[in-house]
Amino acid sequence: MADIVIDRVRKSYGALTVLKDFSIEVADGEFVVLVGPSGCGKSTMLKILAGLEEASAGTIRIGGRDVTDLAPGDRDIAMVFQNHALYPHLTVASNMGFGLKMRGTPAAEINRRVQDAARILDVEHLLGRRPRQLSGGQRQRVALGRAIVREPQAFLMDEPLSNLDAKLRVHMRAEIGALHQRLGVTTIYVTHDQIEAMTMANRIVIMRDGEIQQIADPETMFERPANLFVAGFIGSPGMNFLTAEACNGQVQLFGQPVPVTAAAAGPVTIGLRPEHLEAGRGAVTFEARPVLVESLGSEKYLYFEAPEANRPPRRLARGDEDHRGDRLIARLMNAGPVAVGHPMTLSFDPSRLHVFDPASGRAIR
Amino acid sequence: MRTRPLPRLFLYASVILTCAILLFPIYWLVVTALSQPDQLRQLPPKFWPDQPRWSVFGAILAERPILLWLGNSALAAIGAVSISMVVSVLAGYSLSRFRVRGGQSLGLFILTAKMLPATLLVIPLFGIFRTTGLIGSMWSIILAHATLIIPFTTWMLKGYFDTIPRELEQAAMVDGCSPLGALVRVILPVSAPGLAATALYGFVLSWSDYAYARTFLTNAQGNWTANLGITTMKGEYISNWADISAAAILVALPILGIYLFLERYLVGGLTAGSEK
Repeated sequence: MADIVIDRVRKSYGALTVLKDFSIEVADGEFVVLVGPSGCGKSTMLKILAGLEEASAGTIRIGGRDVTDLAPGDRDIAMVFQNHALYPHLTVASNMGFGLKMRGTPAAEINRRVQDAARILDVEHLLGRRPRQLSGGQRQRVALGRAIVREPQAFLMDEPLSNLDAKLRVHMRAEIGALHQRLGVTTIYVTHDQIEAMTMANRIVIMRDGEIQQIADPETMFERPANLFVAGFIGSPGMNFLTAEACNGQVQLFGQPVPVTAAAAGPVTIGLRPEHLEAGRGAVTFEARPVLVESLGSEKYLYFEAPEANRPPRRLARGDEDHRGDRLIARLMNAGPVAVGHPMTLSFDPSRLHVFDPASGRAIR
Repeated sequence: MRTRPLPRLFLYASVILTCAILLFPIYWLVVTALSQPDQLRQLPPKFWPDQPRWSVFGAILAERPILLWLGNSALAAIGAVSISMVVSVLAGYSLSRFRVRGGQSLGLFILTAKMLPATLLVIPLFGIFRTTGLIGSMWSIILAHATLIIPFTTWMLKGYFDTIPRELEQAAMVDGCSPLGALVRVILPVSAPGLAATALYGFVLSWSDYAYARTFLTNAQGNWTANLGITTMKGEYISNWADISAAAILVALPILGIYLFLERYLVGGLTAGSEK
């Protein structure tokens, strides 16, 4: 186990820069998740960390040792790939022991460590099988097993759950979390799924276009997003955005003055999370006419139009699966029956509002 | 799902017709070999001889050094395929995995060699082998066949390596392999079906060559390959087509045997299960 220091790592392909001065210090035993949309550079960063790609600039230190120019096998890290990358011609036991064999570990020691890892991951009965004889979940467990038998200084995981179905993904998410708690190995995990990031990470690194947008623990990321992109990316459904004019610590929202931070002045973008809207009267109350209601059992997603004056000028980035257009969403718990087209009373606490500079996208606090 | 009977009938008829067209020359070769020489030109032709001459194979093996010719063909093919596979694995893997300046042009340049007819290369190769003193030696035919095989096998293997996920060798490198180690320990075993198919194709190319053997080995009877040897069985005025056909069957048998042996590799999908 070791700490990892990534210092101003840059990656360019000719004129195209895909990673811009990436820096982070990962503490010993920490679970850090790199998250962002496709093409944001998160997988490139992981490959540079693994030594599978060369950095154009910057340094990487693992456990105090400069590994920037070392071959992948000399970095003492283990990697779990999205498509498992199990060796199809080897049995599960040989797959798991391959790395140790390459390092000249005695056969008895390999066997002991493979058995131990297989016991932890509950794949003991599969050791004699070949990868093609395993289910998706079993393959991923074996891929994890191949990583843990090496007892490396750090685990690197590149979207390891993306190829699994939704139910199995939730299960494996919990297993990886439990495994990290048990082994305490420093882990850097790449995903495009913000739910994975929020549920598994000690700290999240949100990336966009090769740049870090924010590094924070999941709660801070949710409660205090650094900019519009982070605000829209984290949370499901994503944050609602409204435009307004701030003056003397107030904005006009839903036709009434609402207090915001005194630092805001001029045109601002206001963010309000769907779960911070409530049915019934509250600190700021307004009438909304639902155009669509999605019921998920205990909770309902209520879609309604934003007032003309607060409608955002452009579509703001929220998340890959958010196609609401200009509509706002309220996520209501135990709201009772809600009819489409009938006005209903909604409210929110103004202290829950997020204020952003529409030009730079930065949060104003 | 139920299919309608008429299209199904048409499909089966087409398959049977195609197989008949493909197999008829082989069948006729066997009929010719087993017939008495004087029965070959009779009309109407007999589709199976009254008394098949099974002894013809033993007779021509006793009369002609067919086993020597087969041995020479095998030596030439094994030598040429060995050289070709080493070169093609490295070249095909490089073309598949590494982006180097001019790499694409280099690949296309290799491809142009595929477009030239083999006979076009006979004269320059003859000049080279005469200068190096290889005319009449097995090396001439091994090297000549390698020049014929390498462009094909390089592109076949490049195509095969393209289908293997890069993550496999990346995983091997993280596990401690060098790039060459990852190729040898992971990529080549995984490529067994592709290597077998490519090697078999190269073997057939070498085994079926006549032009190079005729040019480089004519004056060295001890090094004649099977194809070259068989043509010497054709007389100037009279040819015993039954014996020639029997010899042709003996020459075809090793290829058939190799194909049957490698068949499980050719159709096997060994990469199944490595990734989802």
